[in-house]
Amino acid sequence: MSAEQHVLETHDLAKRYGRRTWALTGIDLAIPQGGITALVGPNAAGKSTLIKTWVGFERPTRGGVTVGGIDPWKDRSEVLGLVGYIPQSPSLYDGLSVDDHLDLAVLLRPDFDRAYARRRLDELGIPGNQGAKSLSGGQQAQVALALALGTRAKILLLDEPLASLDPLARREFLHVLTDAVRTDGATALLSSHIVTDVEQACDRLVVLGVGRILLHETVADALATHWMANDGAASSEGTAIGSFGGPGGERLTLLRVESPSAGPNLRPASLEEVVLGYLASGRALPGEAAA
Amino acid sequence: MSRIGSWLVLSFRLNRWEVLASAAGVALMAAGMLWFTWQLRTLAATEPMCLDPSTYFAACEQSAQPFYELSSRAELLSYLGWAAAFGLGLVLGVPLVSREIEQRTAGMAWALSRSRTSWLLQRVAFAALVLVSLLLALAIASEALAAAQLPTHHLDHDFSWYGRRGALIVVRGLAALAVGVLLGALLGRVLPALLVGVFASALMFTAVSLGMDRWVEADAIVIDPASGDREGGRYLGQRVELPSGELIDYGELSRRGLSVEANDEQGRLFATPADIGHPERIIGWDRGLVVPGRLYPQIVLRESALVGGMASLLALAATFVVSRRRPG
Repeated sequence: MSAEQHVLETHDLAKRYGRRTWALTGIDLAIPQGGITALVGPNAAGKSTLIKTWVGFERPTRGGVTVGGIDPWKDRSEVLGLVGYIPQSPSLYDGLSVDDHLDLAVLLRPDFDRAYARRRLDELGIPGNQGAKSLSGGQQAQVALALALGTRAKILLLDEPLASLDPLARREFLHVLTDAVRTDGATALLSSHIVTDVEQACDRLVVLGVGRILLHETVADALATHWMANDGAASSEGTAIGSFGGPGGERLTLLRVESPSAGPNLRPASLEEVVLGYLASGRALPGEAAA
Repeated sequence: MSRIGSWLVLSFRLNRWEVLASAAGVALMAAGMLWFTWQLRTLAATEPMCLDPSTYFAACEQSAQPFYELSSRAELLSYLGWAAAFGLGLVLGVPLVSREIEQRTAGMAWALSRSRTSWLLQRVAFAALVLVSLLLALAIASEALAAAQLPTHHLDHDFSWYGRRGALIVVRGLAALAVGVLLGALLGRVLPALLVGVFASALMFTAVSLGMDRWVEADAIVIDPASGDREGGRYLGQRVELPSGELIDYGELSRRGLSVEANDEQGRLFATPADIGHPERIIGWDRGLVVPGRLYPQIVLRESALVGGMASLLALAATFVVSRRRPG
């Protein structure tokens, strides 16, 4: 592990699919130990690709990645021992019950903590004998989370586990995740494009544009240093990041202001506006500003 | 539950449809083979002399008719058994990796298991166990059927029903399993892998058959086709023995500008029917190349080693593919 206690790192990471499609272009990122980091970005931003390179499922085209100082492509087995992973749209085995999944995890990974995973599921009232096929989307996500947590890994990589869940299921999932991370002192990276959920659960925020990092800091810092201004009022205060359409059709600009004077035209930005501002900065097309 | 018990139960649940369908198919085939065996034995017991060429008498033509009719139907079943080796291998092998990729369960499984090789080994070992058990039953049933259909043959030293009975059924099934696993891992889709697997298995079987013919040629003996020495042997093809003693095939004969249009009762070959009766115009003698029946166990062992070796290479290739590929 590096001296700065960064458990997940990338150095000039680039990943290309085929001959022309670049999913990631020169990413430098270091996620410190502990807490939950949200990896936010639009579809096709490269979130899944980034996570898969950390799990050793994708080989970098250029640059490198490390997990706890280990290159997952060179020593995938070692890295998988450190990592609990939930793939995008986690699929469980249709023909197996919930308990069968836990048994399978023990078979695949002898140090899997079945009792711990079972306890997590018991707390949610998910019966062990229920077939995976008959579980709701939220319950399936919880089983996938229990499988990741049962590894007792100190690093959790969760690839859009909230995408298909209803608001209540999302809230329950995040509750279980934050509880587990705090209890075990783990580090979690949660990719999502639902910013409101992330705001409540995450300590750090990484905004990924199309293949590149647009913002990486703590949620608290992001909220403290970003302000919103109506277009035209922004010039004298801080650095304009990006503009997008507001709910009433007005044009809003996100500003990065280290010491704001909090003038009449400025108001604190919400985390969603911070993300939108950075995403708008990453793509300059007028039609996309209203995203 | 013990670790092995847990592995067996979970593996069965993960592959239950293939296992149940394969078991049902084999049970039907084996039952059919045993029924034919019983029927043939019953018929053979009524006229035992008619089934032995040395004791065959004129009245046998009619009395042995039911035996031969049933025998030809039973032989059809043996071809089904031959095909089952490949079919079962593919049905059990293809989904092992491809369905995991298709249904997106591979990501979770491969992240839970620190080693994809051990994951694959667990999956393949169960499929191989089921396959060997089923094909062994089929191999034994087909051996019994062959013995009932050919009551005067010593099948331990006889190439009759070669590849349709005994150990080769099991070995070929294992090779088809390896083909299925590799194609499933490469293509990541069950149906396309199954279809390509049928062609790949047919190709592999043809290649092995041709390769084996070459391999056993050195052990073959030259016979006069009219002599009846072919009994129980593996016939490799027709040859021409030239007056110089050289043995060549018909392709080589043609390349030398010779053609055979006629032969006499002694197996002598001539360029035209008009040459018959002129010994000085003889081109050569009709000969057959046959591997003697006594070499049957040795040849089965050789083919088993060859096919087993190919299966091992395919399994290694599948392991390599699984270790490198994306989970989908």
